[in-house]
Amino acid sequence: MRFADFICREAILAKLEAVDKEGAIREMVQSLCKAGKVEKDEYESIVKAILKREELGSTGIGRGVAVPHTKHPSVDRLVGSVAVSAQGVDFASLDGEVVHLFFLLISPPDRPGDHLRALENISRQLRDDTFCKFLKQAKSVEDIQLLLDEADTNQFGS
Amino acid sequence: MSESKATRSVVVTDPAGVHARTAVAIAQTVRRGKSRVTLTKGQQRVEATDVLQILTMVAAQGERLEIEAVGPDAAAVLDSLEPLFAGRFADEAQKSV
Repeated sequence: MRFADFICREAILAKLEAVDKEGAIREMVQSLCKAGKVEKDEYESIVKAILKREELGSTGIGRGVAVPHTKHPSVDRLVGSVAVSAQGVDFASLDGEVVHLFFLLISPPDRPGDHLRALENISRQLRDDTFCKFLKQAKSVEDIQLLLDEADTNQFGS
Repeated sequence: MSESKATRSVVVTDPAGVHARTAVAIAQTVRRGKSRVTLTKGQQRVEATDVLQILTMVAAQGERLEIEAVGPDAAAVLDSLEPLFAGRFADEAQKSV
């Protein structure tokens, strides 16, 4: 699976403003709503589902990365977005570091395979230090999209 | 305490596969212990302390993984890890008691 298969370009946030976990999740889901990827009526339900998932254990997986996610019946295919926070957000991560890179995923309840493949793609690319560093330094949606496109075409080492 | 090696073959029975929560729980469990643990799926071998590495395995329901632990608490670490592949987490067990 490639980033282009699930990341909604119109929902990418280059300057996440939120300073806490709930705020970051709300901002990203709002962005997907504005992009028309999720119904506005489902906004609160999706946010609550993602927060409930976070209660089970943080999706801050280390190296300044978090993958907040949920299954939700309102989507019929995997949708996702990317956000970059310059200041970092306390996400109760595995390694205690603040999070600068967010990959938010919403998947249909009956498609666990797609979710795993999206996680694989994100993880594989983020293992490349250059990709990770450049993404954290990205200042615009165009920068982020270019990096995702380059990753999709195997221009990073991993 | 002496070093020992323990290996175990597990089948992922969690319908969601080895997803982010499982990967974090595996890494946390291994980090709490004293043994070095690796997971192998087919030809791919990963360090069990690294969530990103674990997630690159794409271990779906029904797939078989080999776990290897080397260290003073090798067998105990494997005992702690095995329920995670079935989607059984220690915090849930505690809540249900």
